[in-house]
Amino acid sequence: MKTSPTCLDCNSQDFLGIECAWPAPGCLGASPRAARLRRWRTPMLRTAFVLALAAAVWQFGQAGYIHAKAWLAQILIGQAWAQTLAGGAQVRPWPWADTWPVDRLRVPAQDVEVYVLAGADGRTIAFGPGLVHGTAQPGETGNSVLGGHRDTHFAFLQWLEDGSELALETPHGEILRYFVAHRAVTDENDLRPLAQPAAGRQLTLVTCWPFDALRAGGPLRYVVTAFEHAADTAQAEGQATRPASPSRAV
Amino acid sequence: MNTRTAPPGVRHRPHALELAALIVRILAGGLAVALALAALVLLLASGAHAAELQATPLRAAEAGQGTLLLRDADGATRALPTLATEVTIRVSGPLARARVVQTFRNPGSAWLEGIYVFPLPDDAAVDRLRMQIGDRLIEGEVREREDARASFEQARASGRRAALVEQERPNLVTTSVANIAPGAEIRVEIEYQQTLAYELAGDAGRYRLRFPMVVGPRYIPGAPGGERGAGHGSVPPTDQVTDAHRITPPVRHPADGARNPVRLRIELDAGVPLAALDSPYHAVRIEAPHAHRRIVELAAGSTPANRDFELNWTLAAGHAPRVALFVEPGEQLDHALLMLMPPRLMNTQQPLPREVVFVIDTSGSMEGSSIVQARQALALALRRLAPGDRFNVIEFNSVTQALFPDARPASPDNVDAATRWVRSLQARGGTEMAPALAAALDGGEDPARVRQVIFLTDGAVGNEEALFRLIEQRLGDSRLFTVGIGSAPNSHFMRKAAAAGRGSFTYIGKLEEVGERMSALFARLESPVLKGIELAWPDGAEADFWPRRLPDLYAGEPLVVAVALRKATGTLGVSGWGSEARWRTELSLDKAAPGSGLGGLWARRKIDALMDGLRAGVAEDTVRAAVLELALQHRLVSRYTSLVAVDRTPARPSGEGLQGGALPTELPEGWHYEAVFGKLPQGATGLRWNLLAGSLALLACVLLWRLQRRRSAPHPLPFA
Repeated sequence: MKTSPTCLDCNSQDFLGIECAWPAPGCLGASPRAARLRRWRTPMLRTAFVLALAAAVWQFGQAGYIHAKAWLAQILIGQAWAQTLAGGAQVRPWPWADTWPVDRLRVPAQDVEVYVLAGADGRTIAFGPGLVHGTAQPGETGNSVLGGHRDTHFAFLQWLEDGSELALETPHGEILRYFVAHRAVTDENDLRPLAQPAAGRQLTLVTCWPFDALRAGGPLRYVVTAFEHAADTAQAEGQATRPASPSRAV
Repeated sequence: MNTRTAPPGVRHRPHALELAALIVRILAGGLAVALALAALVLLLASGAHAAELQATPLRAAEAGQGTLLLRDADGATRALPTLATEVTIRVSGPLARARVVQTFRNPGSAWLEGIYVFPLPDDAAVDRLRMQIGDRLIEGEVREREDARASFEQARASGRRAALVEQERPNLVTTSVANIAPGAEIRVEIEYQQTLAYELAGDAGRYRLRFPMVVGPRYIPGAPGGERGAGHGSVPPTDQVTDAHRITPPVRHPADGARNPVRLRIELDAGVPLAALDSPYHAVRIEAPHAHRRIVELAAGSTPANRDFELNWTLAAGHAPRVALFVEPGEQLDHALLMLMPPRLMNTQQPLPREVVFVIDTSGSMEGSSIVQARQALALALRRLAPGDRFNVIEFNSVTQALFPDARPASPDNVDAATRWVRSLQARGGTEMAPALAAALDGGEDPARVRQVIFLTDGAVGNEEALFRLIEQRLGDSRLFTVGIGSAPNSHFMRKAAAAGRGSFTYIGKLEEVGERMSALFARLESPVLKGIELAWPDGAEADFWPRRLPDLYAGEPLVVAVALRKATGTLGVSGWGSEARWRTELSLDKAAPGSGLGGLWARRKIDALMDGLRAGVAEDTVRAAVLELALQHRLVSRYTSLVAVDRTPARPSGEGLQGGALPTELPEGWHYEAVFGKLPQGATGLRWNLLAGSLALLACVLLWRLQRRRSAPHPLPFA
């Protein structure tokens, strides 16, 4: 008897005709091989489903954890800040913390208020923006450089404009007002944002760039430079074109 | 049955087909996800790209140029000459004479100049400069600093080849070379004389030769300001370091490769048989033509100039000299160098209770292997404390922090707490050394105890003089011991800080040395000290000896004195106070070995002492006049004198410009570039990625769920 490919198509009506006397075995599910395949398919799909579900939970959990950490830590840091203002030095927000609040940053126009921590390494800035080690302490003359996450505490950087006001509260309760002088995108290896100004107080905010990039760890940084007095702005613009002078953070 | 007679391949086909269908489905799903992802990324990235162009059309271009200049030595706009160094050191007993040949090569097509900042031993008396152009040798001459610079600048502008050697610090020198023709090279030969460090460990005499190769990037404290004169460095002058721009050469990122190769050859004649010779940081090839002599060369031929070279040799047992006297007769004055090892003092008294303050440098320059060595050394030192001792630990970078508010007894609990604290120390930030020294030295005096401050640092600061002054002012009856950590410590700082603190110094260059060197330091701390040393020169000798204030001697340390005197004859009496007895010895000046270059060594020591006078309040004009006279007479490079060599005829056509500039130095081995020069903080979390991946996984869930539901439904039979 002749076997034609149509006979193997379960949906083909042709096997009722002359060419095929009976549907192919696969169409009846009678083959042990096919049965085995079917037996396997269900657990496989189920496992894949469970894995995908676990991955979803894990990824959303991570995202939630990042936000929760950033938010909850600020509350604890706020308490430590209150103690700092009351005269404490290096008050650790939780007992095992290796950092402490050094000042409070407010952006009146954005309704932003964050506590800044000592140190801007990855571990620290998960909890709040950090003051880069070796740069001027807020209140000292010189350049205070703050680093923060573009998707949590420093997300507001993208809305800042030239002339925006930033207010910094020092541990002595002094309020310093800075005004944004310029904003720039730089390479992570360009260390000019860490350079000292010729005089006066400077505040530099650094975060990753672009703001809507998917992955962390890109080579670009968004740098917002602010000077203490509006009058300094013009002078500072002139300085920005000065040749690079690396930081003194040896 | 027809199916039974079907060929085997056909029989399998239905299952194969189904399997293929499943695979295709999965692949298609994957493709769809990938496409969606790619589209999303593209969408976001293109938005980002547009924003970048809007945000910084100009600054990005500037940044690119700035980095190119430092990174690419052969850049089209600002090429730099290449540099290779060849060092030959001839050692004869405790004296060494070295020749450093720097070859500046111009590989490009423009006329170039090169400026190179490099270290020399901190007691090196630099007395000769020669410039070689092709076969011609041009002898350099010593001139007053401003004079030499003016003559160099004039030659530079008029197209003549010229070389200038200026001293920035006693251990820091700048070579400037102008008008190197395209494709040509200029060789600059510098020679110096020095005495070697000698110590007696047990009964074995040991010499140490250190040749520094790189200036570690220095921390410059103070507020920027002041005149930026002839400088090439990367840090502007500050109110505390007015010559910051002269001591901060650009530094090459280690990832860009090392480019300043150094070849080294040491011809050693110890005068007595040698027992052992070792080079702890570089692999060397040693030849021994004679029992007294060795020839040492780098096994690899050359090494990048990124860490100090050290050679230690031990003299054969019974040959360790206790006295060495060299005399060089002169026209008016004889010059002599005396090295005298006092006898070992016996510890007869009950030792006084000790108060030990450890100070550890945790600045960014210590990051890497240095902080590991320092922590290890400190942990070891803490274990060495006796229960009756009191101690404290101070760490400093931009801020100073003490472990305890006051010195605490060395009880097991306190020592444990200190050990844990030390283990957790991180190296980052600046090197604000003054507050730490002020905290460690309280200026107090208490005869009922011995107070020792052990200071672990790489000395990478630019304000050394201010720190020495602080040490002298606040020392009280404390003693300061410096431990130079890492591959390129600042030897000038280590020696002078210890001298100002009336202690001694040691070096730790790798982790394996920590145990041995710290044990030696502790042995020194626990042994009695020879104080109040006095010299009685023969009558009519009119001896002018330096150092004038003789230091206290710790166990194993020799007294080293350079002297100019009318006639080296007669008997010299030496005396000092041990723990309770007076020690006295005499030696004859007539039985001296002939030496050469001793006048230079004497002048170098005298200049050193004169410069110290500045800290004591002597007027700079007085010091300057005295140093100038000495340096010009002995042809020495000093703070006020430089060596300059100028060619007579112009080489560069007046139409051609001169390019080039400061040569980048290597980063010392084991240092971390980002920890020193800073790094812009990283400011992003994986948040967006998490959300996207989560969403995709959720999508996959829904798809799989539906697939499963369909599969688990009864298979439609034909006819159904």
